[in-house]
Amino acid sequence: MRPAPPLLLLLPALVLVPVLLALPGLLHGGGLDLIMEFAAAALTPSLDPVVLRALLAGVGVTVGMALVGWGISLIAGLVLGLASSRTLWRTLLGHALPADLIRRLLALPRSIHELLWGLLLLQVLGLQPAVAVLAIAIPYSALVARVVSDLLDALPTANLEALRAGGAPGPAALLTALGPPLLPGVLSYGGYRLECALRSATLLGVFGLGGLGTDLKLSLQSLEFHELWSGLWLLLAVMLLLETWVGLLRRRWGMPRRLALHQPGVGRRGREMVLALGTLLPLLVWVGRALGVDPAVLLHWQPLPGLESGHWQAVLSLPWPQLVGGTLLLTVLAAALAVGLAPLQLLVAAPWPWARWLVGFSWVLARLWPPPLTLLLLLFVLKPSLITAALALGLHNLGILGRLLREGLQDQSPAAQQALLAAGSGPRLALFYGRMSGVARSYLAYGAYRSDVMLRETVVVGLAGAVGLGSQMLESLSSFAWDQLAALVLVYALLTLVGEELSDRLRRRLLRGS
Amino acid sequence: MTIRRRTAAVLAGLSLALSPLLVPVLSGGGGALMPRAAAEPAKATRVLRIGAIPDQKPEKLNRLYPLVAAELSRQLGVTVKYVPVVDYTAAVSAFRTGDLDLVWFGGLTGVQARLQKPGSRVLAQRDIDVAFHSIFIASTASGIQPFRDQKDLARLKGKRFTFGSESSTSGRLMPQYFLSQAGVKLSDFAGGAPGFSGSHDATIALVQSGTYDAGVVNEQVWRTSLHDGKAKRSKVVAIWKSPGYQDYHWIAQGDLDQRFGKGFTVKLQQAIVSWRPGDPQQKQILALFGAQQFTPAEAAAYAKIEQVGRQIGKIR
Repeated sequence: MRPAPPLLLLLPALVLVPVLLALPGLLHGGGLDLIMEFAAAALTPSLDPVVLRALLAGVGVTVGMALVGWGISLIAGLVLGLASSRTLWRTLLGHALPADLIRRLLALPRSIHELLWGLLLLQVLGLQPAVAVLAIAIPYSALVARVVSDLLDALPTANLEALRAGGAPGPAALLTALGPPLLPGVLSYGGYRLECALRSATLLGVFGLGGLGTDLKLSLQSLEFHELWSGLWLLLAVMLLLETWVGLLRRRWGMPRRLALHQPGVGRRGREMVLALGTLLPLLVWVGRALGVDPAVLLHWQPLPGLESGHWQAVLSLPWPQLVGGTLLLTVLAAALAVGLAPLQLLVAAPWPWARWLVGFSWVLARLWPPPLTLLLLLFVLKPSLITAALALGLHNLGILGRLLREGLQDQSPAAQQALLAAGSGPRLALFYGRMSGVARSYLAYGAYRSDVMLRETVVVGLAGAVGLGSQMLESLSSFAWDQLAALVLVYALLTLVGEELSDRLRRRLLRGS
Repeated sequence: MTIRRRTAAVLAGLSLALSPLLVPVLSGGGGALMPRAAAEPAKATRVLRIGAIPDQKPEKLNRLYPLVAAELSRQLGVTVKYVPVVDYTAAVSAFRTGDLDLVWFGGLTGVQARLQKPGSRVLAQRDIDVAFHSIFIASTASGIQPFRDQKDLARLKGKRFTFGSESSTSGRLMPQYFLSQAGVKLSDFAGGAPGFSGSHDATIALVQSGTYDAGVVNEQVWRTSLHDGKAKRSKVVAIWKSPGYQDYHWIAQGDLDQRFGKGFTVKLQQAIVSWRPGDPQQKQILALFGAQQFTPAEAAAYAKIEQVGRQIGKIR
């Protein structure tokens, strides 16, 4: 039996049953006063000029780190993406072996979360501004490369073959046949990565790599909620500005939305694009200089101490089954929460405009807060546990998925929903069958991709909580146990690669069914 | 689309693209990712960069260490800069990578730093660091009563418990050692694991609020908090005081004599040890450190810390 597509959409929300059952046992309510204080402080953020100036500087650093890291990853990702495209090698050399090889190699940097890159680079490069930028640029380059090569290889090759048959040389034929259709996809994805980069840069700050994240973490740790909210509101303004701007450019330049996977898009307004790209490069250099990023530091590697004596016995005696099991369970719980809650919330809020607004706003806050901060807040009232960590991770991703779902719904034709409403069905049912059924499969497919991202992100809440590989990683890092760290990173990378493969298959199945 | 609208759109796009340029301007050039001092290469400058493990609230550290920097600069005639770091591990790493020249370490982080950077020198400790104590605290709401016998630490089983930083000597290492002597494993706490609040101030705040039933902090911060009224006796009480052990100390890089001139390390040590409450500036520093004076310290004094660190797996 195949459930109807819209019902499929609500399936992940079943995870709420065990979570809600477990919640009373986890509640301790000890820090309820603190939560109240925190909530009240939202309306009375600190307006102290000294605090604001420090926060503004922090925002500047965070935005700068995001921008430079993103810019580098875009350029490097494009080059690497071309280098790992099968079509390209087949046209130039005759077979696609080098493409497959480069693809495999790129899997490793991609499978390691930017936070781990940051912490590892900090150890070999020292306290350098370049660390955060590189930490963003390395995994992002590999991610962009994957998307670029996937897009490129999925393009129809008829034009290319025609040009080649007509005697055009390889490079020229490639550029002419594949360049223009590739552009909208790359631009759309690039805009999305910039939003991700801002979130990553904030997160890196939470773990001490500078910028606003550091201020947020310190304010929360010393329970200075008024200062914390000044920082959060500032970040909110920057995030919304960025999202609006990226959305504006996406519409203006006719780029496809992320949920509409099959929509053919043709890039428009070439002059504007060239102008924007032309300003981007000097801008990146300028921001990089302002941050004090010095490429020369990459040459000054500090040796890691104590590498000569690996305690492999101790590495083997780590509780691997619990660590891996905890990580996987955390991912599944968080993913189901995030994917399932978004449509459910929209349905519940459907009849009332104010409720819809509230849901949207809660999503903005959810994706604004780095998961470790959410976790610290949750720990005020919940016991540390796997579910607590899953809530923190799930809520953050709910904010991201919810926004996508809403964008996707807005793009649907309103005809079916209006017909249902006119026929007398309630607002919830009309939304459910009229609009949601149309996006169900692509939303779930995106959810599959996102759960793969969440697997990588478990490291973030693991570090702050006490669950899975992430918590062991922090412990190993503060013990300077490089052998354990190396083993943990390797296991993480393996898990991510397997997860990526699984989510890819799931995604393909979901999309094929549509 | 009309030309006017197109021009407007181009301008809007441009101004958005350029808007990040404004940020460093707005922030008055303070927008460096890391403190400037940390970004400067070590050899080209004659700046003594000092640091500390962030064991207390940033406001307090930011009040104390610039004072220390100014005083050392006056005594030694070199530029001294305070470089803040965000966690204990980062302080050790920054010392190893040569980004910090003189660091106020805890017992455990000091041993970690010396093992990672052979040749570095233990300079001085406070009078109170010879026999430093941890204080176990509990919220009054938890109903945990103070006790004398170490064995009674077993009462903490099943409670929500928090340490300070993972690498804290008085907020984690020695308490964990005392707990294990009393038969309490980390998995015995509620939720299957203890929390790590990050600093002593945070531990007090979290226990006082009831977020955790109990926690452990260093004695000096506890006393200061009681004195300041930050810790309210009606909400949080001390339940057990640990036996004494060696804790905090100043550690310097081994190459300071080459970089700052012969005998510099000795001069630096003498400067720190010479601080007395008679001098107004030095009095303020000593008060913030919670000490009467500093005394010369030996690496050998930390053998016990190293042994416990190895036992618990924080030193390898």
